[in-house]
Amino acid sequence: MTQDPLLSVQNVTTQFVTEEGIVRAVDDLSFDVHRGETLGLVGESGAGKSVAIRSIMRLISSPGEIVSGTITYKGHVILDRSQGPDGEVRDGEAMLSEAEMRSKIRGREIALIFQDPMESLNPVFTIGSQLREFIEINRDLSNAEAKAEAIELLREVGIPEAESRYHEYPHQFSGGMRQRVLIAMALACKPDLIIADEPTTALDVTVEGQILDLIEQLKTEYETSFIWVTHDMGVVAEICDRVNVMYLGELIEQAPVDELFHETKHPYTEALLRSIPKPHETTGEFDPIRGIMPDGMNAPSGCRFHPRCPDAREVCMSVHPDLREIDDGQNAACLKYDVFDADYDDSPPLVVDENGERVPAETVESVGGDD
Amino acid sequence: MLIGIATITFLLVNAMPGDPVRIMLGPGTDQATIDAVQSRYGLDQPLYERYFNYMAGVAQGDLGNSIHYNGVPVTEKILERLPVTLLLVASSFTLAISMAVPLGAIAARRQNKATDHVSRIIALIGVSTPSFWIGLMLIIVFAYQLNVFPSSGLIMPWAHPSDVPQAANRIEVLGSSLYHLVLPTITLGTLQTAAIMRIQRSSMLEVLNRDYITLAQAYGVSSRTVLRKHALRNAQLPVVTIIGIQLTTALGGAVLTETVFSINGMGTLIITAVESQDYPLIMGVTLFFGVIFVVGVLITDLLYAYLDPRITYGGGDH
Repeated sequence: MTQDPLLSVQNVTTQFVTEEGIVRAVDDLSFDVHRGETLGLVGESGAGKSVAIRSIMRLISSPGEIVSGTITYKGHVILDRSQGPDGEVRDGEAMLSEAEMRSKIRGREIALIFQDPMESLNPVFTIGSQLREFIEINRDLSNAEAKAEAIELLREVGIPEAESRYHEYPHQFSGGMRQRVLIAMALACKPDLIIADEPTTALDVTVEGQILDLIEQLKTEYETSFIWVTHDMGVVAEICDRVNVMYLGELIEQAPVDELFHETKHPYTEALLRSIPKPHETTGEFDPIRGIMPDGMNAPSGCRFHPRCPDAREVCMSVHPDLREIDDGQNAACLKYDVFDADYDDSPPLVVDENGERVPAETVESVGGDD
Repeated sequence: MLIGIATITFLLVNAMPGDPVRIMLGPGTDQATIDAVQSRYGLDQPLYERYFNYMAGVAQGDLGNSIHYNGVPVTEKILERLPVTLLLVASSFTLAISMAVPLGAIAARRQNKATDHVSRIIALIGVSTPSFWIGLMLIIVFAYQLNVFPSSGLIMPWAHPSDVPQAANRIEVLGSSLYHLVLPTITLGTLQTAAIMRIQRSSMLEVLNRDYITLAQAYGVSSRTVLRKHALRNAQLPVVTIIGIQLTTALGGAVLTETVFSINGMGTLIITAVESQDYPLIMGVTLFFGVIFVVGVLITDLLYAYLDPRITYGGGDH
């Protein structure tokens, strides 16, 4: 891992302007992806995972906007944007134009697989024509060559009778088969990075297993890097090398997969891991994360996780922790670690109020007195 | 459905006060003449008998004879006027579709930008302005003030040159026909344009937010191709539905437009029929509008199957 990263994301912030106000769906996000590795991007629904990966492809459309950050990929500057004090965003000169993004990056270098394979395929065109179109755009092949290549790809991802199924429409395919088609699309241009946005969430477990096996096989064959977006810790354990955990648009823990599971640093990650149902537990023992994730509009002050955090203390309400190295190769954003030097140990713990949120002890007593 | 239309029209027409024969013959006609004419058109028979005679005739394609036009068969009268109305409806739909589909798509693409706001305001004005008012305004401005377009009449493009004033050959007939068509087409087409555009925009907006659109962009497909190829066809289903429904509104609009521009089409025919209480003619024209509506719906359904491979007719296990 000493070589330059394949993809480097630095301080990317993406916001959405809505009628109620500005939502920072992705806030100051930084991470690297190295060659040949599979990076997990984990978090609850609404954590900003999908916006994060669309930001990497520069596919954020109005009312969303990437307001700052730099993204480099193999020397290409995908994003170099800064926001001046007047709120005006400025792009660096080396940043790829929209046309260059199309002709150099999208599809050719970085490919995308989405969660819902039915929604990801255009219902009015045949599987073959969609696959062929993407091949024709990104590789200089004639119509007939692209068709042959498309059939070959369908065969490679395990679609039986590829020649005849080439002429069928998406609704004639099962969920698992559709996801295989999407993987074939992603492989079509031999990209070095595939971003998969919860690609197995919509599939049942046996099909999910088959797809994961297929991905493993293709990984060894093509040495492709992956960013694997998921909220399923089981899938993370199975295929990821390193993991980024997101909460409310921010990264709160980065760790190699073994450390993440066995030496968990952030209380949110701990809670996520505890919330995986285990076969020997009954529903009574099942331990979901308390409370719901606040929306980005009303992000809590200080540490954004403090209203739901079992380790929260008063200092967590006012000090916002950034991501710091806690152990070798393991970063977390939690004030309980000494590197933050935030007087966490001397701060009084928060208690749970009637809404299940954590608040300072005295506020709960006064509320109780009014009743 | 057509039987229902025929029955309801028959009952409504016969519930109207007044007598077509008296209207045709004028006041002061003696009772013997009135009785004679009534019996000629079968109006002296009881209602149920007339109903069964009429329905039997309809089933054989005979819509009866017009009273106002002195016994000319209703079908003949309709076929004489039909091409004019069809020409008007077709030209207004051509205008509407060719304007509304691209404008709606562009408005969706530039959602909440100036283009979108302007086109939405125009569409709103378009659907809320009565077509006869638009027609009258166009006549005032373009026919009387500027004197660039004729205010009345319509010439069929296939008319013989000798029947058309100031036309020496077929090309000039065609030109004259187009010239006469401009104002009525705009009058009738404005509402259709606005209605189709609104649906086109909202349907397009929905489709543009779909994952397969983002996916196509993520594979380097240009935004133009995404819009024209990937989004447009998916967005057309609701638009085709509205076009089918608009066909009926267009027939209603044709009645007003033909009156405003003094065009002898189906619209003026039904107005004449109602004014003279010409029972067979009213029923015949109404029934014919019903037929056009049914054909419109059928075409819509067939277009569905063409646009969306998930819809097939006649079974098949896919």
